[in-house]
Amino acid sequence: MKKKDIVNGLAVFLFLLPALALFIGILIAPILKSAYYSFFDWNGMGDMTFLGLANYKELFTSKAIGFMKALGNACILAALSVFIQLPVSLGLALVLGRGIKGEKPFLSIYFMPVLISTVVIGQLWLKIYNPDYGLLNSALTKLGLENLCHIWLGDKKTALLSVFVPTLWQYVGYHMLLMYAGVKGVSPDLREAARIDGATERQVNRYIVIPSIKPIIKVSVIFAVTGSLKSFDLIYVLTNGGPLHATEVPSTRMIEMLFQRNRYGMGSAIAVMMIILCFAFALLISRAFKEED
Amino acid sequence: MKRKLLSLVMAGAMVLSLAACGNNAGSTGSTGSTGSDPVGTTVEPGETPSDEDMASQDITLKMWCIATESDSNRHSYEAAIADMAEKYPNIKLDWEAFENESYKTKIKAAVSANEMPDIFFTWSCAFLQDFVDAGKVYCLDNAYQEFKDELPESMLGNSTYGGKHYGVPLTMNIVGLFANMDLLKSVGYDEIPGTYEEFIECCDALKAAGIIPFGCAGKETWCVTEYLESVIEKSVGYETLNDIFLGRATWDNADVAAAVDTFQGLVNNGYFDPNGIALGNDEVKANFMDGKYAFYMNGTWNCADFANNEAFFPKVKVAEFPVINADKATLGQLIGGPSDTLAVAASSENAEVAAKYCFELGKLICHYGYLDGCGLPAWTPYGDTSAVNGLTQSVAEICGNATGYVLFGDTAMNADDANTYLSYVDLVYGCEVDGQGFIEGLANDIR
Repeated sequence: MKKKDIVNGLAVFLFLLPALALFIGILIAPILKSAYYSFFDWNGMGDMTFLGLANYKELFTSKAIGFMKALGNACILAALSVFIQLPVSLGLALVLGRGIKGEKPFLSIYFMPVLISTVVIGQLWLKIYNPDYGLLNSALTKLGLENLCHIWLGDKKTALLSVFVPTLWQYVGYHMLLMYAGVKGVSPDLREAARIDGATERQVNRYIVIPSIKPIIKVSVIFAVTGSLKSFDLIYVLTNGGPLHATEVPSTRMIEMLFQRNRYGMGSAIAVMMIILCFAFALLISRAFKEED
Repeated sequence: MKRKLLSLVMAGAMVLSLAACGNNAGSTGSTGSTGSDPVGTTVEPGETPSDEDMASQDITLKMWCIATESDSNRHSYEAAIADMAEKYPNIKLDWEAFENESYKTKIKAAVSANEMPDIFFTWSCAFLQDFVDAGKVYCLDNAYQEFKDELPESMLGNSTYGGKHYGVPLTMNIVGLFANMDLLKSVGYDEIPGTYEEFIECCDALKAAGIIPFGCAGKETWCVTEYLESVIEKSVGYETLNDIFLGRATWDNADVAAAVDTFQGLVNNGYFDPNGIALGNDEVKANFMDGKYAFYMNGTWNCADFANNEAFFPKVKVAEFPVINADKATLGQLIGGPSDTLAVAASSENAEVAAKYCFELGKLICHYGYLDGCGLPAWTPYGDTSAVNGLTQSVAEICGNATGYVLFGDTAMNADDANTYLSYVDLVYGCEVDGQGFIEGLANDIR
């Protein structure tokens, strides 16, 4: 190896070192630390007792911990995100990307929920769902649909869907913006050529635009799925996992284990499982898109 | 008369202290402590500073509490802190208040990270014990000597571990059955029914008149326990419930199962507001004050808020829940006790000063809290207390006749057990499990 190459390699390493140190210190080290804690029974304050894999065994078998149910709820949210949220986002991105009148104001309006604090959104939806004076029940009553009025967040049959609606709604604008950027990046020449060949707007979208923004759609699917698996804030504000654990997701179980039950070992085991699942799903989605290509 | 009554209250609290957490730390308790000194005793208390020493040091103390703007205790904290600022102008108290539920998370995280404020609010018994066992709490034995004439040792029972004192109690509270007398009068009742049979008849009459008997915040499970624990206590007796909460007896108790079924009967009979399951406590309390419910079972710290509402105050009365099974329970068996506590972090750089400051501040918070009606005083009352509202005086009378106390279940049990218990309370309130399922589940799942 030439001396120049060694010097160049060293320079690259030195320039990368700060980022690498940050990456290891902020991301890798806490994950490893969590993995370490997950093998112990520890209340976060006193002595730690080594348990081996007992926390993981309990995680998947204990009904009281309810991790499997929480995971199931997160998977439902992921499915809704992929099959409802993303198509809506894509539809909006395609319409706005065409350069319709009022494109910019609409873009801002759709993106607005992403900018608002989740706690504020949670409070807004709490008021919408309030069984006594909520907007939803009031509207149904005004329309003569009293029989459809519900205790939306208090009934375990409706709570899960009621929590997912604002969760999905909040990030429609986010995915729309990603896809909109992609749509805008599609060469106008391609569109023009397709139109000259007699393609309708729908055909242009289907055969030109959507295949062109496939990498962005892949990123959106990964974000939607992993975001669903680690969803927390809005659910915490709206129901905190209730009623009767109907809206539990892995994050709410983790918080309960860590800070309410003082079971840092079990909380860490849930954290580790969430990391593994997020990585696994991200890899699976990438693989699926690759195979399709 | 009032002082005599308060003496009786304190004597009652002593029963609680001896029956509940005092044993927990001293012998085998619910958390399985062995009676050995907690790790915290390694943090030996230092010399208590004199008043001159206190006045000569320019220091800043940090305090966390739960007296938020909407909390009944807010005024008592503000008044007490103002008095302390006047007495010790050189000591700056940097205090922050957090919402109750989020505070539980925050303080535990701070303890784990060893980033505690000098003085912090805590609940006594098992909640504080975890911190004491980890050696994170400063022992207050030396500082207490100066205040022992004003603060009966019996009041420290719930914050005493291994024979050492770690907390300054503020007020003591019980679960009260608050009633909107206007609504009760509308169905022919001039007083809160004294027997369970009359009570059920009253609920039926209210229901028939289109009035919801009970308001309960299902979104905050501790509010459900205020009802459930009262029903269990008045069915099986306070000693049995105490033994179960403190791990001296199993949950697998047929009488408890029957009591849970009784509670579930109240739910199934439609006595509870069905919308309550989606509401928080503040919303339910507001509904009660607006006349939506006839009864509201909750802590007696609410007396202050009720007393401050001029329109509502004349309508409200308080009583204890009636006896369900007279063979095992009697009137005078109550849920509650001194739980609100201030403690000092072992990591505080000014622990000695903070300890003394904590006692003086606690005394003032207790004083103003009592005057405001936020609860009964853990400290010996002083000054003119004639302005204490009638509702709080009624609570004092109930406590004066107390024969036994059971501390709130989620405070008496360790964090893990308490949350398992709360999960099952949720299931009972949602009618997902019956009494048998409740006792079997808890007997199996409590670690």
